Amino acid sequence: MTPTEMHIEHLKNKIAAQVRHPFLAKFIADPVIDEDKLAILTSIMDHTTLSSVKKEKYIVTTMLVQIALDTHDLVTLSEDEEEQETVRTRQLTVLAGDYYSGLYYYVLSQLNDIPMIRTLAGAIKEINELKMELYYKDVSSFQEFLGSLKKIESLLIQRVATYVQRTTINDMAGDWLLAKKLLEEKNSYQEGRFSPVMDLLVKRPGSFESGGQLVFNIEQLLQKHISNLETTVSKLPIHFNWLKNYFDSTIYHKFYKTHIVEEG
Amino acid sequence: MKLAMIYSFLKQDLATIEDAVNETIQSNNPVLREASSQLLRAGGKRIRPVFVLLAGKFGDYDIERMKAVAVSLELIHTASLVHDDVIDEAEMRRGEPTIKSKWDNRIAMYTGDYIFARSLENLSTLNNPRAHQVLAETMVELCLGEIEQIRDKYNLDQNLRHYLRRIKRKTAILIATSCRMGAIASNVNKQEEMALFRYGYYVGMSYQIIDDVLDFTASEQELGKPAGSDLLQGNITLPVLYSLEDQDVKTELHELFQKEDPTAEDLSRVINTIKTNGSIERSLAVSDRYLKKAYQALEQLPQNKAKQTLKGIAKYIGKRRT
Repeated sequence: MTPTEMHIEHLKNKIAAQVRHPFLAKFIADPVIDEDKLAILTSIMDHTTLSSVKKEKYIVTTMLVQIALDTHDLVTLSEDEEEQETVRTRQLTVLAGDYYSGLYYYVLSQLNDIPMIRTLAGAIKEINELKMELYYKDVSSFQEFLGSLKKIESLLIQRVATYVQRTTINDMAGDWLLAKKLLEEKNSYQEGRFSPVMDLLVKRPGSFESGGQLVFNIEQLLQKHISNLETTVSKLPIHFNWLKNYFDSTIYHKFYKTHIVEEG
Repeated sequence: MKLAMIYSFLKQDLATIEDAVNETIQSNNPVLREASSQLLRAGGKRIRPVFVLLAGKFGDYDIERMKAVAVSLELIHTASLVHDDVIDEAEMRRGEPTIKSKWDNRIAMYTGDYIFARSLENLSTLNNPRAHQVLAETMVELCLGEIEQIRDKYNLDQNLRHYLRRIKRKTAILIATSCRMGAIASNVNKQEEMALFRYGYYVGMSYQIIDDVLDFTASEQELGKPAGSDLLQGNITLPVLYSLEDQDVKTELHELFQKEDPTAEDLSRVINTIKTNGSIERSLAVSDRYLKKAYQALEQLPQNKAKQTLKGIAKYIGKRRT
């Protein structure tokens, strides 16, 4: 493990400890800590002159916000005649998201860091506005849809990067996180798991295309997108070497390796 | 006397806050804007802003600073209601359909998160780290309180300490924090700030106990929901806790909770037992003890109109029996 990888592992454990609540842990799944977002944030913070304490707190609180937002995306719609357990899971998912948001605010308030509180709150506001656009407005084209999805996935990190004045990787982060989201959604959909974005594309009135066609189109899109991304990543300045290696390895494992296996 | 009459001298400042609350949640997104506005249109007593303003009157009262705090507290309360409606699967609130029933759970989640974010953004205009620390601690406590409430549902083996801690986190802490933040924003001295905090805490405890009593004693029309609703949802409130001292009641309740679809008759039998076994009177006596402590906290504050008003509010809460 490189020192950066060890540091990321340390941060991951710290975040996991922070969000751990014994009762929640009994009834709902542990929140997913997005390693790619953690890696991007760590890389951004590494290039700042902030104190190590502040760097760590910024990464942890940004991840707490991400986890809170992701948790609320998991809240299911109410249906008639639900099992008591289904209802309790939903109730606790609502509260868990609120709890993680409260934790981000608590950590930053202890640092007396009002500007960062404002930065993250501003991002939460914008992301929720974007989600409303994505889920409840007729998006006229697939491109427009992808544009909104990309913003939702990357806005939090981009706002933090802007706040610490390290925006070099903002565009690349947006492209990477969109590709990753599409890949995850496509895989979930194909495996019959919950995939809100794919569901939305398939089920909405006047949907863009059928499920099978959509999966094919997303695969095509991903091929092109990843290839462009590789070019962008290769052009990153030399001090982003760790991140370049991380992306190369992740792209290989998450994309090419899966394809090689799938295509035999 | 109506509650609003007690603090009528704040009318102008409360109107300023009302406008600011509305302005703060004006989103560019039409659904979000409509959902948030509907919530605020439905009103509510705005009791948290009232406590902020009254506490502020003990210091260097500046409406801009008061507004920042009052708006944020009201928005946090509102955001929590939107999410509570998802938790409780509530169809109506204050006579209007809830966000989750008019749209769906997902819209309710995004609306609540949006309002929460606006609340923090709004408070960040106040450059007072302590205000943020107090509010952040309160928010974590509020969430923990709600999680505890779900954990303790249908649990007939809990004690008074569980109940008191739960209602502290559920209700009293936000009222106490409203008083404390009003004091912080107007630079009230520490001793008086804590007296105001204690006042809010005791009043909040008393208020919630009475609310829990009313679940049994008030009519469906007064409550806006059927009597015994809290009990049916498995909430073990103070009158229930006292009733559980009787093993027969415990058995009866255990049986009620086991039934998949309890009838109105099942419920009304339990309600009648709780209403007639002295639990209501004992609960109200605890509420009164908290009110007495609230009055004592006020004794540490200088004499002014705000103090008289805080006394008036405590008195009003104490009389709220139906």
